[in-house]
Amino acid sequence: MENIGALALILAFCLAIYSFVASIVGAWKKKPFLIASGERAVVAVFAMITLSVGILLYALVTSDFRFAYVASHSNRDMPVYYKVSSWWGGQEGSLLLWNFVLICYGLVVVLQNRKKHRPIMPYVTATLMATQIFFLVLNVFPASPFQMLAQGRNIVEVQDGNGLNPLLQYWTMLIHPPILYMGYVGFVVPFAFALGSLIVRQPGDSWIHTTRRWAIVTWFFQSTGILLGAGWSYAVLGWGGYWVWDPVENVSFLPWLTSTAFLHSVMMQEKKGMMKIWNIVLVAATFFLCVFGTFMTRSGLVASVHAFATSDIGKYFLVFLTAGIAFTIYMILGRLDYLKSESELESVVSRESSFLFNNLVLLACCFATLWGTLFPVISEAVSGEKVSVDAPWFNRINIPIGLFLLFLTGVGPLLAWRRASAESIKRNFLAPFLAMLVLMAGLAVAGVQHFFALTTFGLCLFVAWTIGAEFWKGAGAIARKESIGLMPAMVALTHRNTRRYGGYIIHMAIVVMFIGFAGAAFNKDITVEVEEGKAFHLGRYEMKVVKVDTGQTDNYVWQNATVEVKVGGEQYATLTPERRIYSQSQQPVGAVKIHRRLNEDLYLNFAAISSEAQRPIIQAYVFPLVTWIWIGYWVLFVGSIICLIPSKVKMSYAKTEVVGMAGANAKVAK
Amino acid sequence: MQKWRNSLLALAVAGWCLAQTGDMVPPEVRRVGDRLACLCKSCKNTVATCQMLGCHYTAPARARISELSKNGVSDDAIVQEFVKKNGKEALAAPPPDGFSLLAYLVPPFAAFAGIGFIGWFIRRHRKPVAEAPALSESDIEKYRDAAAKELERLEE
Repeated sequence: MENIGALALILAFCLAIYSFVASIVGAWKKKPFLIASGERAVVAVFAMITLSVGILLYALVTSDFRFAYVASHSNRDMPVYYKVSSWWGGQEGSLLLWNFVLICYGLVVVLQNRKKHRPIMPYVTATLMATQIFFLVLNVFPASPFQMLAQGRNIVEVQDGNGLNPLLQYWTMLIHPPILYMGYVGFVVPFAFALGSLIVRQPGDSWIHTTRRWAIVTWFFQSTGILLGAGWSYAVLGWGGYWVWDPVENVSFLPWLTSTAFLHSVMMQEKKGMMKIWNIVLVAATFFLCVFGTFMTRSGLVASVHAFATSDIGKYFLVFLTAGIAFTIYMILGRLDYLKSESELESVVSRESSFLFNNLVLLACCFATLWGTLFPVISEAVSGEKVSVDAPWFNRINIPIGLFLLFLTGVGPLLAWRRASAESIKRNFLAPFLAMLVLMAGLAVAGVQHFFALTTFGLCLFVAWTIGAEFWKGAGAIARKESIGLMPAMVALTHRNTRRYGGYIIHMAIVVMFIGFAGAAFNKDITVEVEEGKAFHLGRYEMKVVKVDTGQTDNYVWQNATVEVKVGGEQYATLTPERRIYSQSQQPVGAVKIHRRLNEDLYLNFAAISSEAQRPIIQAYVFPLVTWIWIGYWVLFVGSIICLIPSKVKMSYAKTEVVGMAGANAKVAK
Repeated sequence: MQKWRNSLLALAVAGWCLAQTGDMVPPEVRRVGDRLACLCKSCKNTVATCQMLGCHYTAPARARISELSKNGVSDDAIVQEFVKKNGKEALAAPPPDGFSLLAYLVPPFAAFAGIGFIGWFIRRHRKPVAEAPALSESDIEKYRDAAAKELERLEE
């Protein structure tokens, strides 16, 4: 069986090379049968990779500890769903997941476009397969999941495996890696279409229309993956940190920023025929940053709590990134004439300019994050000095950038295309601006002194007001015209232009998340060693450990503390934070308990039992407003789904422009 | 059975290993600790925010900060002691001097370069204002407002 798995990967590798060569030669020599053969080879690659995935999963589920990978990342007593998730618990398996997701996308692209986009499809197939070849090289040579445990020349089996890292035995880890990969791998599709379009000098914005949905879907998966990671970190690590600017978190954030910039600037190309080079650059940057992120988590270039074991696969990534970036730059420079702008800006105060600034801010955030992530490496290489770049640096640089971006989120959508008049600016912004000032003044008087939190709350109101006003005005007009209620009118309005109003809902999601981020300014915590029955306090909470229990499951032994919580003398909640020792790894892990409310979370971690007095040590935290981050995600989910629904009214964007202003005595010719 | 005995033993040992720290982080430790990185290599927190019980770096660092602070040593002097002992890596953010100054200068420089690029882009792609025969300012304003209102009614 193990031989079939390894052979399937080697065959997939050979077929991917064939598909790449057949597509290029077919397009070059204009041989349709070669092009078709290249596309069919994609189906064969899919079959081979799926077979190897099936074999690995079978080995994991049946605890076949002859496989080195299964022995390292699984054990007999793990529940079957964690055995399945061991697939992406280690380097080799997660690379196989990357290959699997990539070929699934490749298959969908090939099947979807059997009769469409024929001139560029060979190059799209070739780009997809070039990426596939690279990742298959990793799985076939340095990181094969089908290595066997051997003694001398004999394959041997260990009695039980090491088990999955206990921190990964949490429900979000069942879906976080696949979803994140669906986001990162997925951007290869827009990139492949962009590159194909460049190579054949395809006229118009066809590649953008083709890949718009891909871009939205992959962006949504990126967002979901990042937030699932944040949710895991919050609920598992025992101290409630959902984002600490760790290098691996940072590199997952970089392509999200560039893809967000792309989703905005692409509108400039669709509606004005501008920023064509820029859009190609953003798509390429997103794709290469996705690969760069994978490189960072696996190369050991920077220390991270999330990184896979250091390995020597980094050099493979460097070769792929260098070759890919060089080829893309070469293609862009060779096609500058084809990428010329079709129209001009009419005013600095316009929707167009707001997109430019939006892109600038997103890219500034991306660059600052990349710079901060790499600075320790650069500093050591250049000056020989080791430095730390931790959360305080990132917060100092990125919080102002984030707030400016939030401000633009409110301003941009209300500026008119071409030019915004002073009157319209006053009409749209005066009320929300005044409301923002009033709220900030009110909060300051109420005792909120934290500058950034205060600004965030003010800006959140400003943006929410502007978005609400857009819905209110549009839905109000429809309600009056069609004599229907405001809610049906809202639905009708959204359905008329799903992309626009779905986008507004996503903006609202960002607002909601910022409320949650701002809450971090008011976090409180305490670590106490408590005697059973004695109370301790944090904020308005009075807590008492009433008992400590011990027990075991097949997979771990546990110890939990029952903590009664009172507020104002009234019973509020009973929480039972737990500590576990997993049988195979012998690693202690906390299972925190969180009492979630809209205003604040009470978060308890049973950290230890003191050595001398045998008393429980409890870490208690109050995290104000953090729930709004997760609510924000669901708003983002709804907005993204709405963006994907076809609009009821087909929009056409005539690229017209004002050519001049008629004189006072001008007459209309009859 | 052997396995569970080992696990229970590990639980007890872990408890003993972890139970090294006391209660709340005092304000002076939090203040100074915010400027110092936790160098345990398994988190990216500061000495003030590291929550790992018995962290081999943060626990003694907090004790030292507390001790120096009680002896009247200033915050800056405490931070300098950590830098003397562990190098600049001890700081949570690079110091704004020498090569590390670039950590602070490069991001704003890049942002200004971006603003410059936008300025260049706007100048290059801005439509020249058409020469128009004279119209009274109030008429022009009226038409502009009418046009702006029309444009705002357009979808996107």
